[in-house]
Amino acid sequence: MNGLVPLAKGETMTAEIGLLLLIISLTLCLLTAMSPFMPACGVKLWLKPYQPLFIRLNSLAQMASLFILTYLFLCDDFSVAYVANNSNTQLASLYKIAAVWGGHEGSMLFWVAVMGSWSCVISLKHGKSPFFHFLHAVLGAIQAGLIAFLLIGSNPFARLLPGIPVEGRDLNPILQDIGLILHPPLLFIGYVGLAVCFAAAIAALLDSSQPLKQHCKQMRPWAVLAWAMLTGGNAFGSWWAYNELGWGGWWFWDPVENASFIPWLVATALMHSLILGERRDRFHGTSLFLAILGFSLCLLGTFLVRSGVVQSVHAFAADPLRGGAMLTLFALVSICGFTLLLQRLPSLYRPVNSNMLSRESLMQLGNLILLVAAISILLGSCYPLLYEVASGQSISVGAPYFNSLFIPLTWLICLLMGAAPLMRWQISNPGILRQLTVLAAICLLISVTLNALLLTEFAAHFLLGSFSCLWLLGCTGLYLHKRLAAFTGAGDNRRYYAMCFAHLGVALSILGATCSSYFQQEELLRMGPGQGKELAGYTFIYRATETVSHTSYNALQAKIEVRDRREQHLAYLYPQRQTFNSNAMQISAAGIHRSLFADLYISMGNRLSDEEFLIRISYKPLIGWIWIGGLIMMFAGLSQLLPRKMCQESRAPSPQLAVKGA
Amino acid sequence: MMKGSWILLLVVTLVTLLGPTRAQAPTETHGNPQWRTPAQLKHQAIEIAAGLRCPMSANQSLQDSQSPIANELKAEIYLQLEQGKTSDEIVDFMVARYGERIRYMPSLSAGTALLFFAPLCLLALAIFWYLRQAGSAASFNTSQEDRS
Repeated sequence: MNGLVPLAKGETMTAEIGLLLLIISLTLCLLTAMSPFMPACGVKLWLKPYQPLFIRLNSLAQMASLFILTYLFLCDDFSVAYVANNSNTQLASLYKIAAVWGGHEGSMLFWVAVMGSWSCVISLKHGKSPFFHFLHAVLGAIQAGLIAFLLIGSNPFARLLPGIPVEGRDLNPILQDIGLILHPPLLFIGYVGLAVCFAAAIAALLDSSQPLKQHCKQMRPWAVLAWAMLTGGNAFGSWWAYNELGWGGWWFWDPVENASFIPWLVATALMHSLILGERRDRFHGTSLFLAILGFSLCLLGTFLVRSGVVQSVHAFAADPLRGGAMLTLFALVSICGFTLLLQRLPSLYRPVNSNMLSRESLMQLGNLILLVAAISILLGSCYPLLYEVASGQSISVGAPYFNSLFIPLTWLICLLMGAAPLMRWQISNPGILRQLTVLAAICLLISVTLNALLLTEFAAHFLLGSFSCLWLLGCTGLYLHKRLAAFTGAGDNRRYYAMCFAHLGVALSILGATCSSYFQQEELLRMGPGQGKELAGYTFIYRATETVSHTSYNALQAKIEVRDRREQHLAYLYPQRQTFNSNAMQISAAGIHRSLFADLYISMGNRLSDEEFLIRISYKPLIGWIWIGGLIMMFAGLSQLLPRKMCQESRAPSPQLAVKGA
Repeated sequence: MMKGSWILLLVVTLVTLLGPTRAQAPTETHGNPQWRTPAQLKHQAIEIAAGLRCPMSANQSLQDSQSPIANELKAEIYLQLEQGKTSDEIVDFMVARYGERIRYMPSLSAGTALLFFAPLCLLALAIFWYLRQAGSAASFNTSQEDRS
């Protein structure tokens, strides 16, 4: 196809090879998807033994295709439309690599390639039972759907011929940040993890040769990895918005944020449900439901984000044409999944045999509340859209609504999260209940006192936040105390410690969120050289306005000196207003002085006169703990996945475990 | 005692769930504006601005937005507060000027009832399931004990 047009210097067929590999991969995916079903259709085409081969070749083809796209970015091949739209010769090499997933087409390719590799890893690690055949088939089908979508509607290798631009349009300036390198890959790996769980759920429903417990046990590490990655993805996303968007917020309940947060909530419930199922051989139906729901919601979220039907501050690669394809995929996946689940539902039933205050009952209630939170947030995100379609008028649903919904639900979840580990399996534990009541009274007392001392008025959200945090810390402490007292040196304790750390991470995040929103101090003022302002004991002195040039942007920056409470020099902060060379887009970058206990955050607004700018100074106590908590959660999850040589043999029942002969 | 503590828990939950919606209402509707210190005024202005949507930007509150109209409206809010208007009156003023779209907390109406009641119903459903399961567990356990 290139032969018709004279090749420019250095131009090759590389992009076409990438496209070809993608087409090969589509074929391999379809073969993988069909292989377990072929004999059943009466066709004498035994593809089944070749399935592992297809999977490996497929993974290779996809990885090669992804590397080719990366290569095209690195050598600035602007004849490829995707490269021309998302890169520039002046872009730093690291961002050229990150730009591969910086736009719609590339990010879908990245998603597919990760899914192929994950499938390949599973096929290398595990045997050839029917369960795995079905699992790979489902994953193959999903990949085939995504690749077909790529090839038909959004080919990343499409050429701009014959009018090859000399210079690329730049990567969206907002994306030129360390956040782009970390946030999307983590999120996509998390989404793929949920896709793998979905495939496993479908496979578990299709394959009745083994007990469900066995299948759900297989799913657990994948769910934990998916959860850890989604945790990291959300945490980095929020951190990125905090640094970059210039308003000092870290979570805005924007539809795009919600699109990745809802799957996280479902993944959290799924992970806990799988743990329950493994220990109690119950609740498999819930786990399968959550696995199917989790991936469906990923697709729905992708639809919301990519189609541009919702208005977002993080508008990313929005195009209405893409919406239809994602919506179709979502409908297919959810209809198939839920129909299959409904069909098998009667066989999933297990009699209930546990007390209301047993560990499993509380965990199950917690999972249900997580689910309620996820569905409510989804409803809130979609409501303006639905309302507009139904009535033609537009409304907004934003932070005040979501906060008044999510904070009480979080409080409930924290209550259960703190108490559940202290309870016994199956039966209630009256002794611990008394201790917990005392602990709850103490927490309530402390949080009411804090409210009365620190705030001028009654603040329900503050009470809920501080109570949740204290309660979680108290319960986790109590749990660790009991566990260490009963420590015998035997058994696999790592899981329990990982759980403690993850719950501690939640407590720290809540602490950070509560403190930073209630004790933040803020000034919005006009400032010019020589002017100063005192805030929270710190003195901020505007020293000078400077111009800075960078390879990709020119910036005006304010040099602001910060002095601490004793009038000692603390730091210079440089908030900037960057103007990008490529597209003249203006963005602001905050100047932040981070410390463990408080961040000083300055952002630079519009120019008000020759000398003066609108400057926003904020003092944000403990805000960093939000992300420290997130990181702790993520690493607690990842620590579960390390090879466990020493703890393989003994999953000794914990001292508290009392199994009634049922 | 256990039953009692759980009922207490439920009551507290419901109260806290409903509490914030009431907390959205201004706390000093009857207050004389002279009583409010400048710091309180500023705090209240920020609170109002954070709950309103900037008419210009994609999806940002007035407080966060840096567009000229947002700055103008922030000044307007402050001015009206100084004149002694309440939060509700200011929000109503903004809604009259820019439509329902400007507020991030939609008002309760027939069209938005689902938005407010669906989460409550779902939560009630979850708790109902939990209580029912506990009931059936109790009967299961007694029947087990009967058999043994």
